[in-house]
Amino acid sequence: MKTRTRLILVAACLAMISALVMPALGSATVKIGILGPFTGSLAFNAGEMKKGMELALDEVNAKGGLFGQQIELIFGDTEAKPDKGLAAVKKLVTRDNVLVVGGGYASSVNIATSEFCHYEGCPNVVAIAISPTITNRGYDFVFRTSPNSPQFLEGINEWLAKVKRPKRVAFFMENSDYGRDGQKIWEAQCEKIGAQVLDRLYFEIGSTDFTAAISKLKDKTPDVVFNIASTTEAALIQKQAKELNFVTQWIGVGGQFTQAYFEMTGPVSEYAMGSSLEPTKAMKDPVTAAFVNAYQAKFPGSRPGIFSSQGYDNLQVILDAVERAGKPTGNLAADRKKIRDSLAATNMKLSQGLIRFDKTGQVDTVFPSPVQVQLDNNCKADTQIIYPAERAAAEYQTPKPWDQRRCK
Amino acid sequence: MSKRLKHRLRSVAVVAALLILPQVVQERYFLHIVVMAGIYTIMTMSWNLLAGYSGQLNLGHAAFFGIGAYSSALLAMKLGVSPWFGLLGGGVIAGFFGFLLGFPALRLSGPYLAITTIGFAEILRLVAVNWVDLTRGSLGLSGIPLLTPIRLGSWGMEFYFERDYYYVVLAAVVFTYFCMLRFTHSEFGVSLQALRDDEQGAQSIGIHTSQYKLAVFTISAFFAGMAGGLFAHFTRLVSPDTMSLHVTFDTLTMTMIGGLGTTAGPILGAVLLSLLSEWLRTLEDFFRMDIRLVLYGFLLILTIRFMREGLVGVVRALKEGFSSYGKGRNAGGDHD
Amino acid sequence: MESLFLQQTLNGLIIGSIYSLIAIGLTMIFGVMKISNFAHGDYSMVGAYTAVFLMAWVPGWMGWVGSIIAAAAVVGILGIVTERLIFRPLIGRWTDIDIIMVSIGLFILLENLAQLFFGATPQMISDPFKGATVHIGGVSTSVLRVFCFGFSCIAIGALQIFLNRSKLGVAIRATSQNRFAAQLMGVDINLIYTLTFWVGAALAGVAGVLYGTTFAVHPLMGAMPTLKAFVVTILGGMGNIRGAIFGGFILGIAESLGGNYLAMEYQHAIGFFIIILVLLLRPRGLFGAKEGT
Repeated sequence: MKTRTRLILVAACLAMISALVMPALGSATVKIGILGPFTGSLAFNAGEMKKGMELALDEVNAKGGLFGQQIELIFGDTEAKPDKGLAAVKKLVTRDNVLVVGGGYASSVNIATSEFCHYEGCPNVVAIAISPTITNRGYDFVFRTSPNSPQFLEGINEWLAKVKRPKRVAFFMENSDYGRDGQKIWEAQCEKIGAQVLDRLYFEIGSTDFTAAISKLKDKTPDVVFNIASTTEAALIQKQAKELNFVTQWIGVGGQFTQAYFEMTGPVSEYAMGSSLEPTKAMKDPVTAAFVNAYQAKFPGSRPGIFSSQGYDNLQVILDAVERAGKPTGNLAADRKKIRDSLAATNMKLSQGLIRFDKTGQVDTVFPSPVQVQLDNNCKADTQIIYPAERAAAEYQTPKPWDQRRCK
Repeated sequence: MSKRLKHRLRSVAVVAALLILPQVVQERYFLHIVVMAGIYTIMTMSWNLLAGYSGQLNLGHAAFFGIGAYSSALLAMKLGVSPWFGLLGGGVIAGFFGFLLGFPALRLSGPYLAITTIGFAEILRLVAVNWVDLTRGSLGLSGIPLLTPIRLGSWGMEFYFERDYYYVVLAAVVFTYFCMLRFTHSEFGVSLQALRDDEQGAQSIGIHTSQYKLAVFTISAFFAGMAGGLFAHFTRLVSPDTMSLHVTFDTLTMTMIGGLGTTAGPILGAVLLSLLSEWLRTLEDFFRMDIRLVLYGFLLILTIRFMREGLVGVVRALKEGFSSYGKGRNAGGDHD
Repeated sequence: MESLFLQQTLNGLIIGSIYSLIAIGLTMIFGVMKISNFAHGDYSMVGAYTAVFLMAWVPGWMGWVGSIIAAAAVVGILGIVTERLIFRPLIGRWTDIDIIMVSIGLFILLENLAQLFFGATPQMISDPFKGATVHIGGVSTSVLRVFCFGFSCIAIGALQIFLNRSKLGVAIRATSQNRFAAQLMGVDINLIYTLTFWVGAALAGVAGVLYGTTFAVHPLMGAMPTLKAFVVTILGGMGNIRGAIFGGFILGIAESLGGNYLAMEYQHAIGFFIIILVLLLRPRGLFGAKEGT
């Protein structure tokens, strides 16, 4: 009994250690590492990204795959925490020996993981992260297929200067890099167009009651409140603004406009603004329309959002670069270097638009458009592109007082 | 005499095995996990000194870890202090905060102390989030310098690979272990346990409980801060997340499952749970769901409910046979 | 300016009433059994999910009122189960450190089980008042919040009457004051334990429905109410029911006024600042008795 229990204990420990130590079996597959918060509170968004990638994988495989080899995606869970992300990327790069690391979600995680990739000489193509820091550190193995915050807000800034011209503005920001970076950009723009900043408030991620802050904002009567927040917080802020009878033009980044957001707010979110790369809004573009149709054929009943589109583009760019780099020779360092070089020469039209990298590895050809939440005849809320004129699907609407709104 | 010799031999064997481990298993990812486990081991040992030996339930231990990590990183980044001194500096600064937190602990116990320490950590976390000029807010510090190379004549050691950090962390773990042994197996340790079991009784036999409490908070915070410094220079990143309640809860779970108030428990718990959680990661293609924390919660409840001394208690019971199990524990008692 | 002050006071009163409702159960359980339950806010989370599922079946008013009753029942049972399986075996055998840690284990377990089964996407409980608002003078709020405030006050009042007038209520208070004396007077102590846990958990469950309707429902929603409830109970003195009621309102108002006039980014830390100050001056809380009760 005694020795048997001890034996079992020892065996269990050995099994666990050997499972950890055992190197992945070498075989003739093209291995791509994909990072993302696949568990935890961001799992849903990471799942969207993954679905976009599965579509990209299907399309490349349908065209005959790469060099007649199977493409293997190895997923590394970052749990949206930088230190877990580092462990995940070390596994992908040093144990699974992937050619490229793609995916990634959340700036703080990607800053850590991309640094490691750079030092290891493994190309890293970041899919979803907004902080400029990721590509401005001079790391030549790091690329990003989504816009950074200045690019993301460029459309809104132009709209502010040319159309809205606010005089009195306030900031109500998520207390994170996401909020602080955006604030910096908007502060500069406000100075340029001569808008007075009345107040700067911050909230913690995970807060639920914003009545104190909204009451304070209301007291200052701003024309525009810049409000960078994620889905849940943004939705609660809209609802509580109504409760407090506060009317202003809310402007965010746009990432908050998810399905859950509209379920939570209903018509209350009318007039809120942001920037969007929502593929379903850009159906005039044939490549984007083809992506939307293919996505809906593969996942019936679901609508591709921004994260699906960014995941799709990310993997397409990676697979394209791997193909142009030629069949892997087996010399990992040389193969990775070759892929890095071919990544730098990327030039392809995808669901977000043209993808091309500047010298720092940042995509410089994808620009989101300003959108506003508007209601249809059945009081159903959805975003519409309102600027610039050639892409606009609707006119900008000035927020009305709550008691004059059509939908309650 | 021969028993002692056997004991010595065993210690030597363990140390030798630990020393050659990175030569046998060279896989970097595995060594990364082991290094992280080592850093957590320092955390659990220092928390155990507070909670296990002195009965001070500190739920703000992550704050010391974070203070050490931020201090060590900032000393190197802003003032150009060598990371080697930074490690010490991080520990000292964390120790100072531990000393400060010791003051409320003089008058508080149980749930009052638990909430106060949570509040302490939360306030510091918010400072790290909001003091953007210094800490870069929630994005955290990145690109923290690696430990500077050591040169001794022609022999030199660089610090880049996990293997290099393994030896540094191993040295820190061994150092912490022997310090803890000294603390707990001395008059100091006996006084701490007296304090834990009966504070008024301890006072009545002339133990200066306030001095002991301040001392134990300072010491424990020093080691947690040192672990934080190692974390900062190894992962090269620190964010306010390192001060979150979850870090404290992980430390607590590891210590409890290993065995609270024992010497080996914190080490066993930290190493096993670190390996376990990475092993679960390899399964995630099948599960795809976060089962790790479910398991942590479940194990924590089971441990407290059925095996108070954790894995160490189980091992001891297996050794001594089941008859004598349950008599070893000296804490407890009615708290009405 | 004046209306801003009034508005912030009102905001604080309303949120404070929900804090009180959650904290009252926590403090009762501590008073009777000396258990500090860090999973208390997760009872609210389970209550909120009960409402989400019930209202998918029965929408509208009926469903919402039904949810409040169902949450009280489901969470009450969960409370009894956790008390029997986890807490009762520990009472008197282990230290209060062990009890706090076992409740942390329960907190980790419930939170992550919920994430496993319900997913991380936030859910809604639809507002039976359809988002109606009231505006008086320069002060505004929603009908739902006014209802939450009224409901909390009534529930707290009813609990007070129960504790002061009914035989069982008096037995609970007696046990809270002195367990052994109560036992000598013929109080069935195990029954009181079960009853206390049931009432405390059910109140948290009901508060969860109100909280979830006003805000949103997700697996991690219990953590913040737990910490707030602890701050409230410590302010009021642990085990002191009247203290918890006042503590809730004090915390609510301090947060909204402090957020407004001091620093919004430290709004969540205001409670901690207050308790650290209070504990340094009065180690047993504002309304806490001296020692030994």
